[in-house]
Amino acid sequence: MGRTDSLAKLAWAYGRHVARRRLTRPRSQLATMVETYKPDGIRPLTPAEREMHPRLIGCINCGLCALAAGRMGKTRLPDLATSYMRLYARLADASSDLEGDEADLEMASAACPVGLPLNEVAAVVRRLAAG
Amino acid sequence: MSAPSAHDVCVIGGGVTGAGIARDLSLRGLSVLLLEKGDWGAGTSGSSTWMIHGGPRYLEFDWDTTRRSCEDAGHIVTIARHMVYRVAFLIPILPHDRNNIERMETAMEVYDRFQPLKKSNPHARLTADEARQVEPGLTTDLVGAVTLEEWGVDPHRLVYANVQDAVANGARALNHTRVTELLRDGANVIGVRYRAADGSMSESRAKVVVNAAGPWVPEVSRMASANVQLRPAKGIHLVYPHRISNFSLSAETIDGRDVLMVSHGGFTLLGTTDDDFYGDLDSVDVHEDEVDYLLQAFARIFPAIRDYRPVRTTTGVRPTLFKWRRYEDELSRRYQVIDHVADGAEGFITIAGGKLSMYRLMAEETSDAVCRKLGHQAPCTTAVRPLPGSESELEPADELGQRFGIPALAAVKLQSRHGSRAGDVLDKSDAGRIVCRCEPLTESELAYAARHEQVRTLADAFRRVGLAAGPCSGSACVMRAAEIIGRQLGWSASQRFDAVREFVQGAWLGRAPVLGHQGWAQEELAQGALRGLR
Repeated sequence: MGRTDSLAKLAWAYGRHVARRRLTRPRSQLATMVETYKPDGIRPLTPAEREMHPRLIGCINCGLCALAAGRMGKTRLPDLATSYMRLYARLADASSDLEGDEADLEMASAACPVGLPLNEVAAVVRRLAAG
Repeated sequence: MSAPSAHDVCVIGGGVTGAGIARDLSLRGLSVLLLEKGDWGAGTSGSSTWMIHGGPRYLEFDWDTTRRSCEDAGHIVTIARHMVYRVAFLIPILPHDRNNIERMETAMEVYDRFQPLKKSNPHARLTADEARQVEPGLTTDLVGAVTLEEWGVDPHRLVYANVQDAVANGARALNHTRVTELLRDGANVIGVRYRAADGSMSESRAKVVVNAAGPWVPEVSRMASANVQLRPAKGIHLVYPHRISNFSLSAETIDGRDVLMVSHGGFTLLGTTDDDFYGDLDSVDVHEDEVDYLLQAFARIFPAIRDYRPVRTTTGVRPTLFKWRRYEDELSRRYQVIDHVADGAEGFITIAGGKLSMYRLMAEETSDAVCRKLGHQAPCTTAVRPLPGSESELEPADELGQRFGIPALAAVKLQSRHGSRAGDVLDKSDAGRIVCRCEPLTESELAYAARHEQVRTLADAFRRVGLAAGPCSGSACVMRAAEIIGRQLGWSASQRFDAVREFVQGAWLGRAPVLGHQGWAQEELAQGALRGLR
């Protein structure tokens, strides 16, 4: 009974939906959708960032970058590069982490055994942290 | 054996349902003993998809189930607000999908009527181009997409918050404590005999014993000579230590099932499978063909999935109610409260079946049954009373971070676990030192977990505070973590090594099925770093 009733109600809803789609001109809902989720940090990466994304998150946390950049234990970039890329939806809440002096990321990248492009990681992190 | 204790109720099983029952009953003024053979939430709860969802798929079967599920999800979202977060799904529609886009949007339009019950937003419909604009990794072979919103939650913290509140209201809660026998007085079940982690045996008298052991329900029922038949269903997930997609995604498997790629706070869960399980519940393996089955489904809609490296798998067994023949999804998550008086076991109640999203309701109905048995009249308050950490607004993370000298990002993570109590967790002396850089996790929080949150092993710390949950799987932090926990618990040097060895071996079992080329490279690094343990 429950199933029959549910399917009947869905069939009615389907009929109304199809009729409405035929009678009204659909409007784009993209902008509203993106705005809806912005406060939750659910924001799209740009196509270029998306393209690079598998490389940006390859960190295996060996710590060599921080050692090379003289930042071991300073608990910011590049030490926490992997954390920032993991939690990019929450970076707006952590933007204060990115203030102050900058590490030598060229040097850090050169030491990375998996070839993480740390300058590019930093650019993405800063863009997202800026909100 | 120590002298027996006495409680009104003994709850067996420290998953989300058992913890919820312990909280509910202790808030109603009853004395409660909660026993868990492993760690809190280490079984089915912890291996879930980490979601509080309303269940749009039930719309095909029973709208009332959807309404009740959304209502209870709304309660959980309110009482656990510091640990829940929105999960926005994009459901891409491909040309030969089981549901075309008009049928899928119809379902979402109907589901929108229930979404306000759980404080969620209505759906949106996107063209193929728009969908690829917000999710560039999607296949070009798209008809369009619709969105769907649910809530994410860390089930380990949800379980522990329930335990914590139960204890705050007078309950006694013991993890790593296995019930070995039910005490009987003729037809009556009058208590339990149990073995603690140190091997010592104890007894506790109880007026009512509740069996909330999830898939182990039949095993516990047999102790009372009662028969509860389940149809256990195994489910696996692949765990990626990052967000892979901007939005969470849904895909159709080769056999027409819906599977999810869920973007959580700092990781992605991809799953789940759903297979009948007949093996040993304490040793559930993941097979490579199960991994391939999931990857095949997602490669169809998100081809780049194979460029990403999963770090581990999770596996669990759902305590599904018994039914012969193929399950339809709506039925598979139903639950049942069973009073075993008819089986000749007075004072023994089982809660079987169910799902994470309705744990609070299941706990309420079970607690109602217990109270009826005891003639105890007190209303349930769990729908409105906040869980620990959700009582007040959160301090801005950067202010908390500056106050204790920790990165704001570490403060964000800390608050996601402890909510408004985050400041209480940080000890000024070692607050700023990061022990796990992937998470990031501070020494203070780890020490606090050992002192106050019943962390007894490194795996407990993984569940409680996310130790070693990131890309390095602990190769950079477990030795140090063992030192920190060991200091709190008085471990000797050899006990610290043993703890690390046990963790590394356990983690390997979950990692082996997903080790591709890149994974092996990291595995070599980790093995090298920890070679001294052999």
